[in-house]
Amino acid sequence: MAIPGAATAGGAITGPPPPRYWVRHRVALTGWGLLAPALIVLLIMSVVPTIYLVMFAFQHVDLLGPGTKFVGIQNFERVLGDPEMWSDAGATALYVALAVSIQLVFGMALALMLNRKMRETNLLTALFILPLGVAPVVSALIFRELLNPVYGWVDFYLQSWGLMGDPVDWLANPLTAWISIITLDVWQWTPFVALILLAGLQGVPQEPREAAVVDGAGPLSLFWHVTLPLMRPFIAIALVLRAIEAFKTFAGVYVLTGGGPGTSTTLLTLDMYRIALQDFDVGAASALGICFLFALSFVMSRLLAVLAKSTDILED
Amino acid sequence: MRKLAPLLLRLALWAILALTLFPIVWMVVTAVKPADMSQTLPPVWVFRPTMSNFVSVLTGKTYASQNFGVLLLHSLIVTVASTLLALLVGVPAAYGLARVRFRGRRAAATWILSTIMFPPAVSVVPIFILSARLSLTDTYPVLIVPYAAFSLPMVIWMLRSSIKQIPFEIEEAAMVDGLSQLAMVRVIVLPLLVPGIVAAALLSAILSWNEFLFALTLTRSKVQTAPVGLNEFTSMYGTQWGQLTAAATVTVAPILVMTLVLRRRLVEGLSFGAVK
Repeated sequence: MAIPGAATAGGAITGPPPPRYWVRHRVALTGWGLLAPALIVLLIMSVVPTIYLVMFAFQHVDLLGPGTKFVGIQNFERVLGDPEMWSDAGATALYVALAVSIQLVFGMALALMLNRKMRETNLLTALFILPLGVAPVVSALIFRELLNPVYGWVDFYLQSWGLMGDPVDWLANPLTAWISIITLDVWQWTPFVALILLAGLQGVPQEPREAAVVDGAGPLSLFWHVTLPLMRPFIAIALVLRAIEAFKTFAGVYVLTGGGPGTSTTLLTLDMYRIALQDFDVGAASALGICFLFALSFVMSRLLAVLAKSTDILED
Repeated sequence: MRKLAPLLLRLALWAILALTLFPIVWMVVTAVKPADMSQTLPPVWVFRPTMSNFVSVLTGKTYASQNFGVLLLHSLIVTVASTLLALLVGVPAAYGLARVRFRGRRAAATWILSTIMFPPAVSVVPIFILSARLSLTDTYPVLIVPYAAFSLPMVIWMLRSSIKQIPFEIEEAAMVDGLSQLAMVRVIVLPLLVPGIVAAALLSAILSWNEFLFALTLTRSKVQTAPVGLNEFTSMYGTQWGQLTAAATVTVAPILVMTLVLRRRLVEGLSFGAVK
């Protein structure tokens, strides 16, 4: 639908003749004028914080007294020279990779199961969506109580069904703490991934599948060589959106493990919070934030390239 | 065998669903359980439901310095205000992106979408300092503006696609009939946009209601929201499952109802229209 700009913007203007500048630029002025309030709100939450981060990163920020002073790249040296930050960066990458890939595999399995005509399909999909609405704080609190080594139901039932010997203190051991935070995210988001992929499955045209069946393709090669390539846009969108959110994860891990035991489940977002708001070292937190944004913008540009190549979400 | 397979599939689906819903069911069941039974093992499954946990959470000073009802009120105020702000600035922006062909429109749309990648854990640091310097800590605006910003990309994306689905010929005809563009938007576009606006508003409300990090960082007692209060609940008084789950249930229930109502629109919105 080709709409000439002049026909859509400005509209019928009555009264005194408008100034020439308005006449010449009314399309642009209307467009940017409509966008301006939203852009201001978004600038306040993105560009303004970035400017201040850059300023703070080269300062020692004194929250109470007048001790704020320029310290050059000291903050960066401290953050980048701290092996803990590198291992937390690794933990963040591992968290995103594990959570998102498990969600994609489980989500695909669930989507394939739901992609049959059954009487209760609508009911099932409606109920599967519920974890999406549970606040991450609440789901983390529920998980924490269920995993409690003394009162928790998980240990009790695993023991009474003979699946486990001694009770496990899930959040006190790095490996089981990792299992717990990944399970929390997988529980919360797999249904969302499944519903995106289900929409993809339902939109896959039947002809290529039928042709492949005629050519003697088995169910597995049918899925691998025909269905999966056709679902690429939907896999891409699920992957990118989940990765973005997983990088931003804070509440679930903060409430469930608090980054522990030790610092084994500490993600960079938890470091940001601790350094800035518990140690009140705003300079170091800002330096870390800038490094995080740099690394993230690199990863995100790759992810956006994936998105642009396989979907039309960025098109007009 | 051919009849057995679909049956097994359905059984498997229902089993997965039961496992998925178990944490939510546990929360609700524990909330209505008498206090003396809530933490016993083996778990008690049969009991006479009680509302006493809800009563003590909503009316009594069961934790911190105020009752949980006050925190829910704070959450409600922040949620409603940030949703209204997101719609107020989001509807014009969506209309501009959908209907006005100006230079830079595509770049603007991409930039708006890209703001979702900014981690709140990073932006909260400067916002915390700025709000302290401007004496805005523990006030409503310091949550309302960020929450509106968090949901704006989604609101704009949803509404933009809703506007595009309105045939442009209707708008043209109205303008030929002598309506000004502003009047045309009010009389023709907005009424047709109501379902889209409602869906976008509910989505924005869910995000704001559930937000934790900014509320934890930028509020104390005057504006503290329900998610932050829930977290404090356990750290201050140990774990009393009855009251904890009752407070959690009250916090989650309205959102779960909205989730069920929205369903497909929720997935559509959260996937930025990739799923219709």
